[in-house]
Amino acid sequence: MSDALLEVEGLTAGYGEVQVLWGLSLTALRGRLTTLVGANGAGKTTTLRAVLGTIAPWSGRIMFQGEDVTRLPAHVKATRGLVLVPEGRQLFSNMTVDENLEMGAFAKRGAHGYSDRLERVFTLFPRLKERRRQKAGTFSGGEQQMLAIARGLMTDPEILIIDELSWGLAPLSVYQLFGALKTLKDAGLTVLLVEQNVHLAFAVSDYAYVIAEGRLFTQGPPSSLAAMPEIRRAYLGL
Amino acid sequence: MDGVLIGSVYGLAAMGLTLIWGVMNVVNLTHGAAIVAGMFALYLLTSGIDMPPYAALPLILVGGFLIGVALYWIAVHRMIGRPPLMILLSTFSVNLVVIGLGTAVWGTGLFNVAVALPGVTWRRYTFSGTHILAAVLTAIIAGSLYLFLYHTRLGKAVRAVANNREAAELVGIPTTRVLSLSFGLGVALAGAAGMLIATMFPFTVLSGDAYQLKSFVVTALGGLGNPAGALVGGVALGLVEGFAAQFMPVSWTLVIEFVLFVVVLIIFPRGVFAFKRS
Repeated sequence: MSDALLEVEGLTAGYGEVQVLWGLSLTALRGRLTTLVGANGAGKTTTLRAVLGTIAPWSGRIMFQGEDVTRLPAHVKATRGLVLVPEGRQLFSNMTVDENLEMGAFAKRGAHGYSDRLERVFTLFPRLKERRRQKAGTFSGGEQQMLAIARGLMTDPEILIIDELSWGLAPLSVYQLFGALKTLKDAGLTVLLVEQNVHLAFAVSDYAYVIAEGRLFTQGPPSSLAAMPEIRRAYLGL
Repeated sequence: MDGVLIGSVYGLAAMGLTLIWGVMNVVNLTHGAAIVAGMFALYLLTSGIDMPPYAALPLILVGGFLIGVALYWIAVHRMIGRPPLMILLSTFSVNLVVIGLGTAVWGTGLFNVAVALPGVTWRRYTFSGTHILAAVLTAIIAGSLYLFLYHTRLGKAVRAVANNREAAELVGIPTTRVLSLSFGLGVALAGAAGMLIATMFPFTVLSGDAYQLKSFVVTALGGLGNPAGALVGGVALGLVEGFAAQFMPVSWTLVIEFVLFVVVLIIFPRGVFAFKRS
């Protein structure tokens, strides 16, 4: 797999004495949308934290653009284009839309071509343009998620990792956001999506990993996964 | 009216305390020592090498910043994310070391820096020149801090770290360096406030504690983590002091202030002038 952008090999991690991940491996290919699905508590968010470096992995290796980045701090990974849209948005709630986007472009790679990228982000989410001077904390959940994605895009990511895109959102916002995701994917952006809404995740992704209890359960293109009886029962409610 | 001038300097000191609190949730008990260090830096620079008093201010700001950054790495960095008591103990021990050294060198006698400035008379009030200049310089420093925090990329990064440290790390802000920078700024502000206080009042090595406590009162009035509120709270405290001094001996001002402190904490636990937090 020569076009692997992000490779996670044998990742183990946890909190204190509690081990959550038991040797997880996955790969995100350049220009593709890869999905990681699993039940609550399966270790999806822990995986992303360990990959990004906001918690230290216990063992395993994280390769990004062919380089070992396992031990790099999160802010250095961001400057290399490994960008996370965190679960629960984590916006700078006391700061305006403009300031949130400016912070997204804090790294040098984001500062280059700032105004062009700002225009593209506003084209994708026109609602943000109308509210540039408003504080992020006053937004609805759907608008906050738009801003969180927009902030991630301002970093000029090589790969955009999105944790729980649909978390706590009204159905209409969820469809809008998945529409935006489709647009980004069609424009060639590499995405790793973590999502509880397996129906929607399978509908947009090229490849999917299913994890359970901190281990890989199965993987494959969504169409073949959706045909497996145990996946249909456990994740698709069919 | 004089209370407004003096109070603004209290506000400047409290800004240093509240900035550090707001950015890293650290109660900095080296604050009083930094104020005293500012006072003695002024004393040494004016009496030792005959520097004009106000020329010492930029030196104290820069020196305070550098010392603050060093202090962050020595006494604070390893305590971040640990129980709050650890930081209280480590900053308090730095405070004891500084005050102890100061006492060993200068004793606890009264010092005075004579600053010759003409006063200004307006109708039947006369304002001391040092008080006016202290307030003007405070306004300039506070204004610069505002411009830094709201109109520069680095300043916005400081606010981003204060708002959500994990998210700041994820957008590529080196948050640890931002914390050390903020600690440096906080100590620089405390030192500058100490220097300005020393142009107005006599002081001792032990003066820091009283001014540190005043900073806590001001912070309670202005809302924790809110530099603009600190300035307003400082002016309010200055007014209370000036008002109280007309009716009772000066030694009672601290008592009044702390009664006020307790009352404010009970009625407005988040500060009288605190902005709404989302």
